[in-house]
Amino acid sequence: MNFYKDHYDVIVVGGALAGLSAALQLADKGKDVLVLERHNLPGGVATSFVRGGIEIEAALHEMMYIGAKDNRQKVGVFFDQLGIDIDWLRVPEAYHASLPGLEVTLHPGMEQFSREVDAAVPGTYEKVKRLMDLCATVYDSVNELSIHPMSKPQMLLKHAAFVKTAGYSTKEVLDTFDLPQKALDLIAPYWIYVGSGFSDLPFTIYAVLMGEYIGNGSYIPRKFSHEMSLKMAEKAEEMGVQIEYRQHVDKILVKDGQACGVRTARGDEISADYVICSAYPNKVYTSMIEPAEAVPAGAIKMVNGRRISLTAFSVILILDKPAEELNIKDYSIFRGTTMDTDKIYDELKGLGPYSYLTCICHNYGNPDATPEGTCSFSITVLPRVDGWKTVTADEYDRVKHQVAKQLIDDMSAYFGVNLLDHVLEIVIETPMTVAHYTGMWNGCIYGYAHTMEDHIVARLQTEEEEKFIGHLEFSGAHQISGDGMGPAVVNGRKAAKNVLDTMAKEAQ
Amino acid sequence: MKVKGFIKDVGGASRVTKARLNAFETASPLPVREDPIGNVAREWHPGKLDLVVTEIREASKTAKTLRFEKVGGGKLPPFYAGQFMVLDFPMGKSLISRPYSISSAPWQARQDKGFVEITVRRSKGDGFICDHINDNVKVGDTFRGLIGCGQFYYEPLRDAKHVVALAGGVGITPFASMAREVANGTLDMDLTILYGSVSSNDITLKAELDKLEGEHVHVVHVLSGDEPDWPGERGFLTAELIRKYSAPDTTYFICGPQVMYRFLHGELAKLDIPRRRIRFEVFGQAKDITQFPGYPMACKDETYQLTVVRGLHEDVIPAKATESLVVALERAGIGIETGCRSGECGFCRTKVLSGSVYICPENDGRRGADKDFGYVHACAAYPTSDVKIKIPIV
Repeated sequence: MNFYKDHYDVIVVGGALAGLSAALQLADKGKDVLVLERHNLPGGVATSFVRGGIEIEAALHEMMYIGAKDNRQKVGVFFDQLGIDIDWLRVPEAYHASLPGLEVTLHPGMEQFSREVDAAVPGTYEKVKRLMDLCATVYDSVNELSIHPMSKPQMLLKHAAFVKTAGYSTKEVLDTFDLPQKALDLIAPYWIYVGSGFSDLPFTIYAVLMGEYIGNGSYIPRKFSHEMSLKMAEKAEEMGVQIEYRQHVDKILVKDGQACGVRTARGDEISADYVICSAYPNKVYTSMIEPAEAVPAGAIKMVNGRRISLTAFSVILILDKPAEELNIKDYSIFRGTTMDTDKIYDELKGLGPYSYLTCICHNYGNPDATPEGTCSFSITVLPRVDGWKTVTADEYDRVKHQVAKQLIDDMSAYFGVNLLDHVLEIVIETPMTVAHYTGMWNGCIYGYAHTMEDHIVARLQTEEEEKFIGHLEFSGAHQISGDGMGPAVVNGRKAAKNVLDTMAKEAQ
Repeated sequence: MKVKGFIKDVGGASRVTKARLNAFETASPLPVREDPIGNVAREWHPGKLDLVVTEIREASKTAKTLRFEKVGGGKLPPFYAGQFMVLDFPMGKSLISRPYSISSAPWQARQDKGFVEITVRRSKGDGFICDHINDNVKVGDTFRGLIGCGQFYYEPLRDAKHVVALAGGVGITPFASMAREVANGTLDMDLTILYGSVSSNDITLKAELDKLEGEHVHVVHVLSGDEPDWPGERGFLTAELIRKYSAPDTTYFICGPQVMYRFLHGELAKLDIPRRRIRFEVFGQAKDITQFPGYPMACKDETYQLTVVRGLHEDVIPAKATESLVVALERAGIGIETGCRSGECGFCRTKVLSGSVYICPENDGRRGADKDFGYVHACAAYPTSDVKIKIPIV
């Protein structure tokens, strides 16, 4: 039986957001694309599941790069242009910060955000606004430079703020603003979405984060992130992309230094001119390339020289009362006993207790998220892989419940309501859950840590030298733009662009 | 760095680039393949395993218990007491799968020579496969099986410490697993099983259950048949009986035939129990789909053409209106992954490309967006016209 064509232009390994974005971009340019996804639905962690008749979001807190209908941002524009019509709901606030001495709800919009910080910590408006403006300027530069690279002198002329902050950590830049501690605490919570402590987090990344989330606000699809993943997959198929689910790719076949196809676990060998792969380079270079000798030493040194970033642990509760009756008042709550990001980053190495929690009550973003009289409330920690690597299969369930209980108890104490008395459904997602469903290396969802040694600016500079195997591109959180569902789309499109550029170059 | 130094610094990009290259230059050249988190995920969920039947024993006059070990020996994957396993049965050119609740305990699977057991009653549940197991399967036979599926298990962060299990007939099996795990000290709850049977001389797993009776495990047999000498509880699992064995805060787990579910919905409603305290096991394939609300009776005697797309390949097979798409595929020997066969787990998620199907309303566990795009769970979807579907290549 022939399930596959004799040959494809491109095989995309992994049908999550990055892989689907790559496939869409390539199909839009008329390329013949096959997507192989190991699970039986698209999206990776951008998905949902049903428990006790209630649909539950698996992972998405807030989607960046969408923008309002009249002010679409890059991912929103991409979806609109392809006719991928997602029912976006605007997340009502940026976040509620519950930090030492602070209970403050902040909203997107640079001006409003700065005013709200000032209301909580009087006398800080000008400095915070100046900082937010700097973030916006750097963010604009990143967006423009990622589309139109330019020479250094030109860059310095047009993107001075970007150039001048590129060499500094978030802490170094924030220090120059001389803000009181409480104001610094209020502007820090989003750090966990990029996952490095401020002393090692490139300011460029912080600027992108604040520029987008505070500047443009964030969105969620009405029917959970599965709506987004599925609409992308459906559009791709409509455009002629072949998507096959439950196909696990074991090997990427390489000939004469170039990727030329894949072999699946069921034994299909499929040929293609290019392969775009969502698996981590760590896994690809150490166990997926055939023949293994085709992997140059530099590739191994590169993956060993980078630090795997954060994974995820979430407790998702469906509670048997409306949110307000349980004292849950916000869509997004960041709760911490400290806002010292370096300290928290250090604590994330372990298995808890975790002191920095990220909570989402979907009902405030989507009133129909759960049936009448109930609400959905999730508590998330984004730990480093280190601690979880030490957990054995026999200890796993105990550790999972211990951590989940700590998170629920902490938030129960905060609300003054024992959430455990209201649990209709509970789902505990762990790094192992991520590994099980997506196959991601060590269950890591954040790719490589954004650090001063692995800086986005440097990633762009050295990109060409890091192509160790011809016609093989990577897509996913481990690529230049890093973690997050918005960046996943950007990473996928970048992989497609690289393929298209190589095709054009080689055609000449 | 000097405060405010960055205002004049234009060399940042070169500096961070050098730092990056230096980090790679000094990194180890030895490949690191270890993925311990992935390994734990694979140990819990290794996919289908080759299993061999190592023991068959009577569970009652009409039921047998089959013990499975891994071909080649070793530990079996961890699972939660109450979960089921999916077994594949090659039958001629068909490949049929069935879910069976595991009646042995998780700790028994985790021994060096780990095992899982299922207990199957003749001519109950899914009919001919049950008879096949009782009549034909022998020690040494091998099967492919997926261990540890489903959501029917005790969750300490959700459920009350006191659990009343309401079991009917062969629905005892998940509770046998829970009772064994509690008795072993590896599941912390108090379990009272109200176990409805017809006659005292045909109670599935009676001898084994009675041996588990102890501080935290109680088994109360409830007979519905006419036995004047029976000293224990009689009749059905009524609200009154359930109340008698309940603590102030109790979680109820229910597993049994479909008819018992209808009865218990009524009885439990009389007791004013919070919704979160009641957990029903999925009831498996609908016995007679035409009995469900909204079934288009005009279709019921039809056999339609089912076009099955896998990759570039297409097959056309017959599909009876009263049988799910999964059954049609299995009859034709076209592989499809199934789990619960109750519309819940989504293993058999399938795209309907054209044609119409009836979805069993009590078995519709689909995602909202899936409904919008014509995805169905093939175990709970019945053709009402010629249908074209796309399924994964197995």
